Amino acid sequence: MSELEAQAEVEFEELESVVIRFAGDSGDGMQLTGTQFTNTSAVFGNDISTMPDFPAEIRAPAGTLAGVSGFQINISERDILTPGDAPEVLVTMNPAALKACLPELEHGGTIIVNTDAFTGANLKKAGYEENPLDNESLKNYQVIRIPLTTLNREALKDIEGIGNKEKDRSQNFFALGLAFWMFDRPMDTTLDWLKKKFAKRPEIYEANSRALQAGFNFGDTTRTFQHRYRIRPATLPPGTYRKVTGNEAVAMGLVTAAKKMGKPLFYGTYPITPASDILHALAPLRHFDVRTFQAEDEIAAMGSVIGAAFGGALAVTGTSGPGVALKSEAMNLAIMLELPMVIVNVQRGGPSTGLPTKTEQADLLQAMFGRNGESPIVVLAPQSPADCFDMAFEAARLAVRSMSPVILLSDGFLANSSEPWQIPDPEQIPAIPVNHPHGRDPHNGDAPYLPYERDPETGGRPWAIPGTPGLEHRIGGLSKAPRTGNVSYDPQHNEQMFFERRDKIARLVKAIPAQAVYGPKSGDLLVVSWGGTFGAVRSAVQRAQADGYSVAHAHVRYLNPFPANLRDLLSRYRRVLVPELNGGQLAFLLRGRFALNVQSYPKMQARPFKISEVYAKIVEVIGNR
Amino acid sequence: MTTETLPLTRQDFVSNQTVRWCPGCGDYSILAQVQKTMPDIGFAREDIVFISGIGCSSRFPYYMNTYGIHSIHGRAPTLASGLAIARPDLSIWVVTGDGDGLSIGGNHMIHAIRRNINLNILLFNNRIYGLTKGQYSPTSRHGMVTKSSPMGSVEQPLNPIALALASEATFVARSIDAHTQHLGEVLLEAAHHVGTSFVEIYQNCVIFNPNEWIGLDDRRLRDENILYLKHGEPMIFGKNHDKGIRLNGFMPEVVQLGNGVSEDDLLVHDETSMQLAFIISSMEFPHFPAPMGVIRRVQKQTYTEGLMEQVKAAQAKKGVGDLYELYTSADLWTVTERETVKGKQTGALSLELDDEYMDEMEQKPEETTAMQDQLITPIATLQPRAPVSIDAAASLAKAIRQMNAHRVGCLLVTDKDDRLVGIFTEKDVLMRVVGLVDDLTAVPVANYMTPNPIALTTSLPIAQALYEMSIHGFRHVPLVDDDGRPEGIISFRDVVRRLKQNFN
Ligand code: SF4
Repeated sequence: MSELEAQAEVEFEELESVVIRFAGDSGDGMQLTGTQFTNTSAVFGNDISTMPDFPAEIRAPAGTLAGVSGFQINISERDILTPGDAPEVLVTMNPAALKACLPELEHGGTIIVNTDAFTGANLKKAGYEENPLDNESLKNYQVIRIPLTTLNREALKDIEGIGNKEKDRSQNFFALGLAFWMFDRPMDTTLDWLKKKFAKRPEIYEANSRALQAGFNFGDTTRTFQHRYRIRPATLPPGTYRKVTGNEAVAMGLVTAAKKMGKPLFYGTYPITPASDILHALAPLRHFDVRTFQAEDEIAAMGSVIGAAFGGALAVTGTSGPGVALKSEAMNLAIMLELPMVIVNVQRGGPSTGLPTKTEQADLLQAMFGRNGESPIVVLAPQSPADCFDMAFEAARLAVRSMSPVILLSDGFLANSSEPWQIPDPEQIPAIPVNHPHGRDPHNGDAPYLPYERDPETGGRPWAIPGTPGLEHRIGGLSKAPRTGNVSYDPQHNEQMFFERRDKIARLVKAIPAQAVYGPKSGDLLVVSWGGTFGAVRSAVQRAQADGYSVAHAHVRYLNPFPANLRDLLSRYRRVLVPELNGGQLAFLLRGRFALNVQSYPKMQARPFKISEVYAKIVEVIGNR
Repeated sequence: MTTETLPLTRQDFVSNQTVRWCPGCGDYSILAQVQKTMPDIGFAREDIVFISGIGCSSRFPYYMNTYGIHSIHGRAPTLASGLAIARPDLSIWVVTGDGDGLSIGGNHMIHAIRRNINLNILLFNNRIYGLTKGQYSPTSRHGMVTKSSPMGSVEQPLNPIALALASEATFVARSIDAHTQHLGEVLLEAAHHVGTSFVEIYQNCVIFNPNEWIGLDDRRLRDENILYLKHGEPMIFGKNHDKGIRLNGFMPEVVQLGNGVSEDDLLVHDETSMQLAFIISSMEFPHFPAPMGVIRRVQKQTYTEGLMEQVKAAQAKKGVGDLYELYTSADLWTVTERETVKGKQTGALSLELDDEYMDEMEQKPEETTAMQDQLITPIATLQPRAPVSIDAAASLAKAIRQMNAHRVGCLLVTDKDDRLVGIFTEKDVLMRVVGLVDDLTAVPVANYMTPNPIALTTSLPIAQALYEMSIHGFRHVPLVDDDGRPEGIISFRDVVRRLKQNFN
């Protein structure tokens, strides 16, 4: 049979969206495979949302469940908000990956397996008593068996200069080529990338590109598949797009803010999962005058940020929950010194070391209250990977305005997930006004400088920086007198200064947008969420609305202060439901702040919400009225 | 930047705050010397910053009419580091004590010094906790009786100078509060050094540890007991300049000049020698005179010099950072009004989580030999011989007959479902049967086989077979299918024959 005939028999099926997961051993290059598939789909014009899932141990034993590395992609022709609940197509490179991912696979989904990897030893390492390909355990799925290793070796057999080991390493490109064929994607983006990446290693380029081609051709020429799928380009608003992860977006948002302040960006940090990628994104940006400082510990990182803020830089630190715990004493000093700075907390599963590579949003109350004494602080949370750009910028703006540290609560899911980002015009991004007071000469009749004299509008104190003559002043962590900032143990002073510090944060309400609501302005149920759960909650609310339920969604990005209209908004619905990846922290805050009856929907599995879970909860709550 | 036209005086550095140390505290004299030195260090007043932690010494910034921060316990070096990186133009002073700088802040101290950040660190060492009212500190002597060590401290003290040296300090000096002139000179040297200057200042806590520096802080005794270090000069001390330090092997010793001992025999101070600096740091009063002055001074690139050089180099190479370029340094696609899409490939892939995978990809290709390639091919390619098997219940006599009939040295023993349960070899016959069993027909082979032998499947690499053979000394390895039924057998000779082909 000729190729043409074979192709003619395979039908194209139009899909709105599909969720695919690539999974294999951490040494199989699954993140790379997933990323390449994503990039190609993004360039093709689909809306995308991705979620990598990689082992906590850097070098987990090969072939075991602990070593499984997965990458999930949702590609769609319409606007999508999450990486998808359950994969519909699973590409597995070994038995461990099959075992780890099967429970999440959509019923009736397609599994592509490399049969060559299903040997006795691999099965044993994955904990399979018998080969799942030989029994009934996969009968509810469409299993496509491919002797991938053998085919790949065959395709690469006459490449000289590399051995079988290197050849086997390009197996993932065979799988990728096959996926490209299945979903009708072009190969050029990946081929271009390979060419650049392995410019100095032509034999590796040759092996990988040939494996890619072989995978594609395998789909094309064999009759293993009955269907190919087409997902048309999405209808995104016109503009230029790229794919961005949350950590990349935070980094770019901070660089933008520094530029818009006319200041160097100082980023003092200690490496910690999952925040380190912000450092990795910033460190190469020396030409932006980005001054990264890898401190000796979390405490030093926080101290360095205070010093840099005193010197007049845009000062930022990035960490995760355990790091925030260590930084809390210095954060309190920052609150007393009233200097602007940003603390990025990329939350992970806790408590203690917890689940370093998994996501959770259980540091909200830590951010609000996790320090000694009364220590009000600004708290913001981005809602999606691209929103990390806006909120990082926003954090810097509010810090400077209120002369206060600002906590930006990202999370492991946002940090590593990606979505299309419409590239903004940098000219259109407003400047962040910075007013350092000018020098003065008290000997010539100028009034003495008062470090804690407040701006009547914002309540912030002046940001006088070293190098300004006549403004020499000393500040510290001890209780202070108003205006002068001199050390004072006067009880009245202590209370007044507490009110002043709290007040300037409350005043930010005037500088932040009102809380938006999606759906009816009143009704049976308002779902209130924050942080990285936006996509799942919004999609679930959309589905419930389509099914005729009276439900609306408010996603809170400003957590301290809350938007001015939030209380009023909440009181217009019969019930309020708060889904959170924690034990109910926002619900606790809302109850405390507004004395409203709020129903908490906590999830503590260190995995994002599924749309179906939230949908089911909405139906349950409304049904219970 | 200065707007002051008149030269500054000590008075310009006195703040409006009342000084609140105990009367007689050594801190007063240090404050006075610092204020006196400031006009001479070459910085405008507005370009000077004092940063402290917590402790008696840490009130210092409040009394200096400069910029200043009274921070938190032990962390002053971290604030100072951040400030120095943000503002390399400033003169930054860290004021700390033996508790603040060496106990709670010990980690920050060593790393600030190691990075050679342009700071002046003044460590007031009074060998006691003053602010918390009299507990022993990390520099308190062994056996010292304090409120928290009523029977004497069982801890060994830390040597601040040796610690700074071990942290690769580029400037290390020592002085004492009571010797104001010497202190002033040392402070000026520290100020002029570019990089981290570490100065230990012996300071008298009159309340909780008043006798610590006896012999050194008394104007009448000090010249007898202090060794004033001068670069390039022999180490002579004593009121009458009659004593010196000589090296005996690796150990310094005090010698009396005269009687055959001349200046030429003495150690000559060299600020650039790390070895000498360590020797000096080991000289503890009263066994030795207390060394004072600049112990070590070398020039190295500072942290901020290195960093700002990188900024400059990056800007020279790539131009001053452009935001649009940053945003677009990835694969781009454009959505036009008509919702058609055009992709464009620019920039590099940004998300590369496959470190392990990429590392391996980028490795130099391992010199895989034809031999290694052979070793990872499946055992199946050896075309193993069909096995000769025997039921476990069969008699020894039958087993031996089978071996002879098939001319093999090894039988695979199976159960009633044909699963491999043991292996019976010539060696078993020789070692366990011959001369030991009377009636070969009466006993089953199962009693004399090696039970549960290691078996492999044909899809495993040849290397694994070779491995099992060499570890356990097997000559044969049985092969089974996924259900444990014998499929074949390979011998050591089979493997050798294959590998030999590659040599030829
Ligand atoms: S307690 Fe000691 S160190 Fe502290 S101020 Fe008093 S004398 Fe000085």
